[in-house]
Amino acid sequence: MRRIFISILAALALLLAGAEPSPQASAAGDPDLGPYATLDDLLAADCVDDAALAIAQAAARLPQTGAPTARTLRGGVEEGGVTSDDWPPHALGGVIPPIRSVSDPFPTFDGVAIDTVNDRVIFSDENRHSLLVYERTAGGVSNETTEPAQWVFGPKTKLGYIAGVEVDPARREFYTVNNDSGDLLTVFSYEDHGNVQPRRSLSLPHQSWDVSLAPKRDEFVVTVQQSNALSFFKRTATGTTAPIRTIRGLATELEDPHGVYFDETHNEIITANHGNWTQIRPYSPYDPQTTEVGEYKSGAFHPSAITFHAADANGDVPPVRTIEGDLTGLNWPMGIDVDLTRDEIVAANYGDSAVRVYRRGDKGNVQPIRVLRGALTQIVGPVSVAIDTKNDELWVANYGDHTAVVFPRTASGNVRPKRVIRNAPKDTPTCGFTNASAAAYDSKRDEILVPN
Amino acid sequence: MFARLANGNVAPKRVIEGQATNLSRTMHGIAYDAIHDEIVIPVALSGAVLVFKADASGEVPPLRAIQGTRTRLVRPHTVAVDPVNNEILTADPSMRAIVVFERMANGNVAPKRVISGPKTGLLDIVGLDVDPIRNVIVASSRKGNGDKVGLFVFDRLANGDVEPKQFIGGPNSKLAHFRQVAIDPATGNIFLAQQNTRMKQMEAYVLDKPREGFKAKDDDDDDSDSGHLDTMGFIAVYAPDDNGDVPPRAIIKGPGIRLAGAAGVALNPKKKEIITVGGNGFQTFLLPDFFKPLKKPGGTAMIRD
Repeated sequence: MRRIFISILAALALLLAGAEPSPQASAAGDPDLGPYATLDDLLAADCVDDAALAIAQAAARLPQTGAPTARTLRGGVEEGGVTSDDWPPHALGGVIPPIRSVSDPFPTFDGVAIDTVNDRVIFSDENRHSLLVYERTAGGVSNETTEPAQWVFGPKTKLGYIAGVEVDPARREFYTVNNDSGDLLTVFSYEDHGNVQPRRSLSLPHQSWDVSLAPKRDEFVVTVQQSNALSFFKRTATGTTAPIRTIRGLATELEDPHGVYFDETHNEIITANHGNWTQIRPYSPYDPQTTEVGEYKSGAFHPSAITFHAADANGDVPPVRTIEGDLTGLNWPMGIDVDLTRDEIVAANYGDSAVRVYRRGDKGNVQPIRVLRGALTQIVGPVSVAIDTKNDELWVANYGDHTAVVFPRTASGNVRPKRVIRNAPKDTPTCGFTNASAAAYDSKRDEILVPN
Repeated sequence: MFARLANGNVAPKRVIEGQATNLSRTMHGIAYDAIHDEIVIPVALSGAVLVFKADASGEVPPLRAIQGTRTRLVRPHTVAVDPVNNEILTADPSMRAIVVFERMANGNVAPKRVISGPKTGLLDIVGLDVDPIRNVIVASSRKGNGDKVGLFVFDRLANGDVEPKQFIGGPNSKLAHFRQVAIDPATGNIFLAQQNTRMKQMEAYVLDKPREGFKAKDDDDDDSDSGHLDTMGFIAVYAPDDNGDVPPRAIIKGPGIRLAGAAGVALNPKKKEIITVGGNGFQTFLLPDFFKPLKKPGGTAMIRD
């Protein structure tokens, strides 16, 4: 807790330092930082009190005059030199502080996974790029931030805009997926804490979102948004190891897939889909301009759906059944979990801030058997769920609020949670950004528009 | 949507989201049409361009949706609107093209013009704006080896496989990993958001197959807001007639931009404000001089303080 609090203070100090209408920063470089130090290095440093001070100093002193520059990259473009006062020559501006700055310095919960063997709950934090581990019994009625047992955070972790998480209780490991920035699956140990390298990592297709382990098969599956695919890997895959099989194609009905559950008991892959579909072609700056792209299929909007595929499926294979239609109430379903003892599927329904529960064998346009929704539930923009059959609980990770909420496993309707886990003090707002990368200004309403 | 004066950790005033909107949670562009009071948004994951009422809030359907086989759209990433000539422009990195539609286009409609082909030099097009006064389209496009990484300026009515009339890029420009473009209509000044000065990292996969010869780098965090200080991004500003391997005539750099990652840039010419967005935040800069005609480097109007 102390580490998070101080680092948050440090981030705030940086924002405030940047927001001051101070003169151009042109002082000599900070010898404590060194010319190639990063602010994230400092944020992740063990001595966080000193780091907070150094960050505030760094914000006031950049750029560092005389810092080494000029490493030549591909195409002759020089790396570095941007911080030099001499570049660009004779230009207006330079190091300029903003007059206003909007960001959220606190973690936001994204994925959640529970380990009832070792009594731990792991959350991914998309906002600060960290993994937070709590005791299973964490939380309560306090308005203060809940102290995590572990916190994996910093540049060595290679955590970017992470989404789904998974846990391997037998090996005491947890997994997460970089949805953007890095295209990696990273695996950490229960002994890992702070700014540490992952125990292993695996390159994934861009926009992978969730991961689910199949311990008996010794495999895992990941969802890939942009290629509408499910890719399967051996559990121990590392580096650039290729998938052992992939389910992808028009027949699959995979459409902007998000949450996934590898149901080894029934040999099925269960996937939550948002319904967006478009063809994928080579698009990157490293692919040629003209390629053989085959028959053109235009984009489409389809309803959100839960698809079920045979666990051994490979290629362009249709689902064995699908839950889809108006009665389902599915609306941007994100993470899912399966309660094998009750034979139920639980979905975090982001679009209407609800948790919706279906029978595992359901198909077609069916109503959920339970819906958890309403002001009392404190469910706001849920992104993932985890079922604890051992302790009869249901965990919900909120992206729209700085909380996770815990209910009795079969809670229904507009009911209060048993416990609340907070990653920021009560009523702390959240900007809701997920790697936002564009903006527009609405002159009529005097508003700033940001797509996510 | 945030109030212009928002500052600190604040929640948006309103949000358009949910199934009925036909949006996704992956969108990389936006344009506001001040004349018709509409918002235009590309949805890469469903090959569509959507138009909403500008005061829309919550789970509301779009006014219009451009999507279908006649559109030829695959994954449109960025948009611009020309309310003077009644056109919507989008750039699609999967098509390697700039595509122009009637502003009121709705449904499965063919584009009016498509700029694409080897002569254009366009590849990974990530930013786009249109200047209806000077009749130009400006696109930011990247090619991985450093060749043709920069700003491409076309005649507004260009169509087909045509060469750009101007190109800004090269080692002296330090352009590498950028995204959104914005044009100040009064001066024609071109603003570009650059995330960092390293070339865009090669992705590990092509479609669903591992990329041949791909080697993961240790230092692969090139999309995030945690770039190294020595390769930090910036907001670059060019005069409308700039051409070649030239440095920006005006720049914003430093800690504020680093926090933003500088992937997006928007302008408020009336208040002389520049909004930069990236990572998980946005910043606003007050710079009246950036909204004046930019003199050639070394001119007496150059101020560096």
